[in-house]
Amino acid sequence: MAKAEFKIIGTSPARMGGVERVVGKGVYGIDLMLKDQLHGAILRSQYAHAKIVSIDTSEAKKIPGVHTVVTAADAPNVRFGRSYFDRHILARDKVRFMGDPVAAVAAESPAIAKQALKKIKVVYEPLPVAIDPEEATKPEAPTLHEDMPLPKSIPADAKLKNICGHAVAHVGDAEKAMAEADVVVEEVYETKMIHPQYLEPRIAAAQMEPNGRLTVWANAQAPFPVRQETAKTLGLSLNNVRVISAGLGGGFGGKGSGITSGAAIEPICGLLAIKAKRPVMIVLDKAEETISTTIRAGAKMYIKTGVKKDGTIVARTGKVFYDAGGYSGFGVQAGGRCTNMLGGWYLMPNCHIDGYTVYTNKQVCGPVRGPGGPQAAFAVESHMDSIAAKLGMDPVEFRLKNTPKPGDKIVGVPKLRDVSLGETIRIAKEKIGWGKVKLEKNQGIGIATGSWIESAGPGGGAIVKVNEDGSVTVHIGKIDMGTIPGFGIPMIVAEELGVPVEDITVVNVDTDASPWDAGTVGSRGILVSGTASRLAAIDARNQIFKMAASQLEASPDDLEIVDKQIRVKGTPAKAVALATIATNAHNVIGEVIGRGYFDNVAAVAEEKQHGSSQPFTAHACIVEVNPDTGNVKILKYVAVHDIGQPIHKAAVEGQIEGAAAMSIGQALCEQVVFDTNGRTMNPSFVDYLMPTINMMPRIETTLVSGYPGAGPYGAKGAGEIACVPPMAAIANAIYNATGVRIKTLPLSPENVLRALKEAGKA
Amino acid sequence: MSLTINTMINGQSVSGSAEASTSLLEFLRDTLEYKGTKLCCNTGECGACTIIYNGMPINSCVTMAADAIGAEITTIEGLADGDKLHPVQQAFIDTGAVQCGYCTPGYIISVKALLDRTTKPTAEDIEEAVSGNICRCTGYNKIVDAIHLAADRIAGRA
Repeated sequence: MAKAEFKIIGTSPARMGGVERVVGKGVYGIDLMLKDQLHGAILRSQYAHAKIVSIDTSEAKKIPGVHTVVTAADAPNVRFGRSYFDRHILARDKVRFMGDPVAAVAAESPAIAKQALKKIKVVYEPLPVAIDPEEATKPEAPTLHEDMPLPKSIPADAKLKNICGHAVAHVGDAEKAMAEADVVVEEVYETKMIHPQYLEPRIAAAQMEPNGRLTVWANAQAPFPVRQETAKTLGLSLNNVRVISAGLGGGFGGKGSGITSGAAIEPICGLLAIKAKRPVMIVLDKAEETISTTIRAGAKMYIKTGVKKDGTIVARTGKVFYDAGGYSGFGVQAGGRCTNMLGGWYLMPNCHIDGYTVYTNKQVCGPVRGPGGPQAAFAVESHMDSIAAKLGMDPVEFRLKNTPKPGDKIVGVPKLRDVSLGETIRIAKEKIGWGKVKLEKNQGIGIATGSWIESAGPGGGAIVKVNEDGSVTVHIGKIDMGTIPGFGIPMIVAEELGVPVEDITVVNVDTDASPWDAGTVGSRGILVSGTASRLAAIDARNQIFKMAASQLEASPDDLEIVDKQIRVKGTPAKAVALATIATNAHNVIGEVIGRGYFDNVAAVAEEKQHGSSQPFTAHACIVEVNPDTGNVKILKYVAVHDIGQPIHKAAVEGQIEGAAAMSIGQALCEQVVFDTNGRTMNPSFVDYLMPTINMMPRIETTLVSGYPGAGPYGAKGAGEIACVPPMAAIANAIYNATGVRIKTLPLSPENVLRALKEAGKA
Repeated sequence: MSLTINTMINGQSVSGSAEASTSLLEFLRDTLEYKGTKLCCNTGECGACTIIYNGMPINSCVTMAADAIGAEITTIEGLADGDKLHPVQQAFIDTGAVQCGYCTPGYIISVKALLDRTTKPTAEDIEEAVSGNICRCTGYNKIVDAIHLAADRIAGRA
């Protein structure tokens, strides 16, 4: 479909659910209150690594108002996990990070529950802790999981331990090519843990129904995986667990990985409800949340690249130590992604990178916004500038020199279809004024690029129901946290069904009724639910046309729907109301119900045949570094993004700007800080700094179309990719301003000042 | 010891009881069920719980419920005139500034307090007024757009 034919796609109508949110009636998980509910609270480990010698709950149980106290002994002895089943909902025998849940209480009030937690006596035998992911692989490091085998790909004589994931990016003969390179640059980069810090705290509420079913309310991004893992860990069948999505006040992947994300808050709440025989609700305190829920992991990345004098890259070698935390969580997937992306998204004929995802005594890695990508890009794109500097080449020219063309392969992607990388670089160069803008003293300019996956991951469905009055109800499996369900999905259905956007409702996820979905993760909202909703709307339209055709004495192919009227094309007077057809359907097909799904097997096959149409991006910025304080101020920031076809323009810009802000935060200030015992030093918002309006530059966003993606109308996912370039773009601008290359995040005033001093520049 | 708190919320006399240790946010949300004001950091850092207290925007999470005695309070529920949204509310919708929407009530309250003072806010005015309101979704672009649009509409410039 050519762009000009769209009626609604590409515009920016008001967000579904906007009014209730601005008047304070938006219902989030935290606003729930079940009749007769008890208040749940969780006792968390006070040690990062310890044996549990004994737990005595007798005193806690005696407190008036306490209804139940549970420990691992009260739950089925079942482990959960994504790659490894290495975790219980409540710690059994051992704790592996400071926020590890040990026991839980349900009581009449939050105050009584808190009092009861204090009366639970846990005797620990502290063990040595592993904090640094590289150190944790060494033979002398403490062992976190005695019964977890190393990945099979690691040789038995490798003298490595605590590894739960091993990924490789091996292409050609990197050693030989490196030996033949004119210039070799070798560096080590490191990123630290950040917390996604969605504003709404995690909650769970649970209630046993009279028929023996368990209802769970969760502000989780992946209600179906929550159902699956809650059922498994509580020993229930899937039809006996119903998960209802409460509205989400942000997620960013931090609420995305089943029960792992909330450190099993949903099954723990379910267990309390079962034992107490009363509804129970748990609300995490923000500081408790910062130490216990899933995070964007830190990574240590060794990177070495060989280039020819003319700037042609010939080889890369490297090693990644990716921090899983106390359990494997999403670390294996994120570490694998980081390993592949350390190979870059430029032409790379020879590559040899090994990546290890490592258990440490810290909280668990989740799929936080671009898992593995921002970390790798900090190394790759900083390193690109280091190479350019050594070659005496302009960083933009060096990147363009190594940009792939359609049909080329990059590390991890056998074939690219369209390649927007060069165009995004050229636009960013133009917009930032590269080579033209006059920089004052202490100012510098920097650029960095990025890419993100497009089609990997499971599919999902949509159901479009046309009601008797011509309004439309849409069921998808993705939740509304400010992404596609409230913005693009009504538009897609409106476009296909000729119904105004405001007459379309997208229903919140209820696992009893919604189509299955892996979750609102992986930039897959538009790809999965967008495609499925479009196909479901087309299916509904076909049913409508079939019924209307006989009434209008026309062929279904000659019909169109405009403003809820089904008309004969070219003869608009020959029409019947959509409401009439939808009502008549009751006597014919029962109801107009369109079904659609995103067929991931077909998408992967398509990509294999024609190549990946993954998005690319380039960010550029100008910064000013204060040599006395180390403070970095961003003066100008441009973000250029290939998004295929924008569905909701303002929403896609909002995704890009929000994602960029999160990584600008990681670049300049954000970090979860640990002491040597594995204790989090900055759990509260008082100490955990993130970008406020005065730190943020105006992000100047440019959307690039013309490189169609695998989504509906050629759209591409946009939720994560803008997290990829910012850290390196800022680091490169700091280098340009000061001549100092900082290789460990964050680029906070104290770290910048230290680096300047070490270089004799301050 | 329980306190009886008589206060004025959104122009209505309201009464409820609270413990001496109860925060104003808890009193609003849990006792009076004004759930539009949001709980987040509980340390006065994020602005999600912002309300207008005797004409000034404050963080209700670090204010005691007892301070509400005899006070005049405006919460997000008190801004719209029936079905007609306040210009700040309408501007947040129109510019796409509402993503997840969790910071939105506190933000709108802070912006209303700003635009009650001036309908020609400078960049510095805006920074000062909302630097205590964290938004994790938008990167602030659309929020700044919303503030300018609301100011223009209130002043009759748009």
